[in-house]
Amino acid sequence: MFRVNPGFLFSHKKALLYFTGIVSFLIFCFPGLSSGRIYIDINAPSIPKFKIAIPDFKRIGGDSGHPELGNELLKVMSNDLELSGYFSPIEKGAFLEEKDAPLTGDKINFKDWSVIGAELLLKVGYSCMGSRLQVELRLYDVFWGKQILGKRALGDIAGYRHLIHKLSDEIILKLTNYNGISLTKLAYVGDGTGQKEIYTCDYDGYNIQAVTSDKSIAMLPRWSPDGKRLAYNSYKQGGAELYLKDMVSGVTKRLSRRSGLNIGAGWSPGGEELALTLSDQGNSDIYVISLEGQILKRLTDHWSIDVSPSYSPDGKKLAFVSNRSGSPQVYILTIEDGKVERLTFEGKYNTSPCWSSLNRIAYTSMNENGSFDICTIDPNGGAVRVLTGDGWNDEDPRWSPDGRYIAFSSNRTGSYHIYIMNLSGQNQSRITFQKGNQTSPSWAPG
Amino acid sequence: MEEMLRVEGAWFLDGENFSRQFFFIGVRLWNGRKKIMRNRAAMGVIVLAFVFSSMFWFASCAKKQVDTLETKPKTETGEGSVDKGSAAGKQSSSETITELSEAERRAKQQEMEIANKMAVFESENVYFEFDKSDLTPEAQAILKKKAAFLQQNPNLALLIEGNCDQRGTIEYNLALGERRANAAQRFLMALGISEDRLKTISYGKERLADPANNPVAWSLNRRDSFKLLR
Repeated sequence: MFRVNPGFLFSHKKALLYFTGIVSFLIFCFPGLSSGRIYIDINAPSIPKFKIAIPDFKRIGGDSGHPELGNELLKVMSNDLELSGYFSPIEKGAFLEEKDAPLTGDKINFKDWSVIGAELLLKVGYSCMGSRLQVELRLYDVFWGKQILGKRALGDIAGYRHLIHKLSDEIILKLTNYNGISLTKLAYVGDGTGQKEIYTCDYDGYNIQAVTSDKSIAMLPRWSPDGKRLAYNSYKQGGAELYLKDMVSGVTKRLSRRSGLNIGAGWSPGGEELALTLSDQGNSDIYVISLEGQILKRLTDHWSIDVSPSYSPDGKKLAFVSNRSGSPQVYILTIEDGKVERLTFEGKYNTSPCWSSLNRIAYTSMNENGSFDICTIDPNGGAVRVLTGDGWNDEDPRWSPDGRYIAFSSNRTGSYHIYIMNLSGQNQSRITFQKGNQTSPSWAPG
Repeated sequence: MEEMLRVEGAWFLDGENFSRQFFFIGVRLWNGRKKIMRNRAAMGVIVLAFVFSSMFWFASCAKKQVDTLETKPKTETGEGSVDKGSAAGKQSSSETITELSEAERRAKQQEMEIANKMAVFESENVYFEFDKSDLTPEAQAILKKKAAFLQQNPNLALLIEGNCDQRGTIEYNLALGERRANAAQRFLMALGISEDRLKTISYGKERLADPANNPVAWSLNRRDSFKLLR
C-alpha cells in the first residue's frame, strides 16, 4: 500500500489490476485524497516494519540548560517506536545528512534518506525555557517527500518522558488510526528486596514506584479497567487476603478476608465487580464480589480446583482454570446460565487465561519439554497459536488494554523479568531490569 | 563333685547366689547330657531345673536393679536433708527454695525434651507427587506419628502449610497447596485430632524449600510443612 511498485503500472495481465494501479497512483498524486491514508494496517495478520530514520534531536533556541536532554528525548521516542513493533530504526552510522540540516520539509534532501532505505523520516527540535520544555515534531514520508505529521508539545522538563510518550502516540495514531500504548502502565511483582512486593512502572519499564511495602508476600496485581485502582493479594495479615488500592488517593482497603484463599481478582469490563477464587467453603470456587467485598454470585460449585477468572469483553462470559478433567485446563463459563465448556485440549497444563478486548484469549501452556509457552486461542477454541517457544518459561500473559500487545514474565536470562510482545508474538522486548525476579504483570491504560 | 559341694556351701547365703549356682549346674549338666540322654526322666529334671533356676536368677537380678533405682532418690533426699539440717535452725523457708529450684530444673528439662520433640516433629515434611494432593503411604505413616504426638500433647495446635514446586501458575499452585494442607488436616482429623487444633494455610509456590529448578528441588518443594502452636 505504501510502497508503489513502478512495474505494477506496466503490468498487462489483468485489466482490473491495471485499473487498481491507476486509482492508487491517483490517490498518491493528489494530497487531498491521501490525507486520511492509513500507513500501517495493524489488523493485518502480519505487519511489515517501517524503516524510520531518526536524526539527533536539534536544540532550537531557548536556554542552554540540560545539555544531555536531546539524547534522552531521542532515546525515549525511538524506544517507543521500536516497542510498538511497527518500526525498525535505521542505524545512525548510515545517515548521509549533515548534523545542522534543516527541520522543515522544503529544505530537506529526501534523496539522502531514500538512498539509505528510509521510508519515514522523523525530525524533532526542542527548546528549554527554565523548567519548561517545548518539542516540535515533524514526520515525513520520504518517498513522496512530504510531511505526514507536525506537532508541537509543551510541558515540564521533569516530565519529559510523559511528554515524549504523548508525541510517540500521536505518531502511532497518525500512521495506524489507532491509539498506541506509549502512555500505558504496568504493575508487577518484584522480589529485589528479598520479599515479594508490588510495583508499577511505565509500559517501557521506567518510572518504577512501589505500591506495597508489606514485607510479607504481595502478589497478583490487577489494574481496574480505568487504571485508577489496583486489586492485589497480600499475606501481611496471615492468609492470602485481597486488597484494593485506590491509586489516585493512595488509600488501601482490605476487600476479602474469608478463611482460605481470596485470590486472583478479575475485573468486570465496567470495573464494578470482581471475579475471584474463594475457598472458605472447603474448596476453591469462583465467586463475584462487589467493590465493598460482598459476595454477589457464586459462579462455580465443583469439587475441582477452579481459579484464575478473566472476563470476556462483553462481561457475559469468563475464562477460568479448572482441573475437573484431571489436569489444569482453560474453561469458558457463561455467567447467565452457569454453563461450562472446556476450551483447551492440547497439553496437560494450560493455565492463567487472559481475555483481550479484541476477543482473543492468551494462556500459559506447558510444552513437551516441561517448560512453559504463551499461547493464544479464539474463545470458540479455534486459531491456536504458540507465541513463544524459546525453551524457557514464558508465563503470566496479560493483554494491553487495546488487546494488541501481551506482557509476560520469562526466565530466559536466568531470572524472571517482564517482557512485552505484539499479539502475534513478534517483537519480544525486555522491559524490567531490576535485580531479583519480576513476575505477574498487569496492564493499565494511560 | 567339688562343684556340688560348693553349691551346698552357698545354699544358705542368699537367694541370688543359690539360683545362680543352680543355673550353672543346669548348664553343666546340659553340657554333659550325652551321658544321661538315655534317661528321659533325668533329662526332664535337668530341663526343669534349668528353667526354674534361670527364672530365679533373672528375678533376683531384676529385683536388684529396682533396688538400685530406688536408692537414687534416697541419696538425693539425703542430700536435701543435709541442707535441711544445716539451715533448719536459722531459716525454715530455705527448704522450700531448694525444692522449688529442683522442680524448676525438672520442668526445664522436660521443656527441653518437648522442644526437641517439637523440632523433630516440625522437621518432618509430607511430600506429594506433581499436580497431586493425595497422601502417599509414606505420607500417611508420617501423619500417623504426628497424630500420636498431638494426642500426647493436647495443649499443642498445628499449622499445616501446603506448598508446591515452582512450575505452573501462582493461582493454581495456591489452590493446589491448599488441597495438600487440607489432605493432611482431614487425615489427622480421621485419627481423632479435633479440627480446632488444625489450622491450614497455602503458600503455593511462594515459599520454596529449594529454589533450584530441577526434579530433586521440585520434589522437595511439593510438601506440607508443619508448625506447632502452643
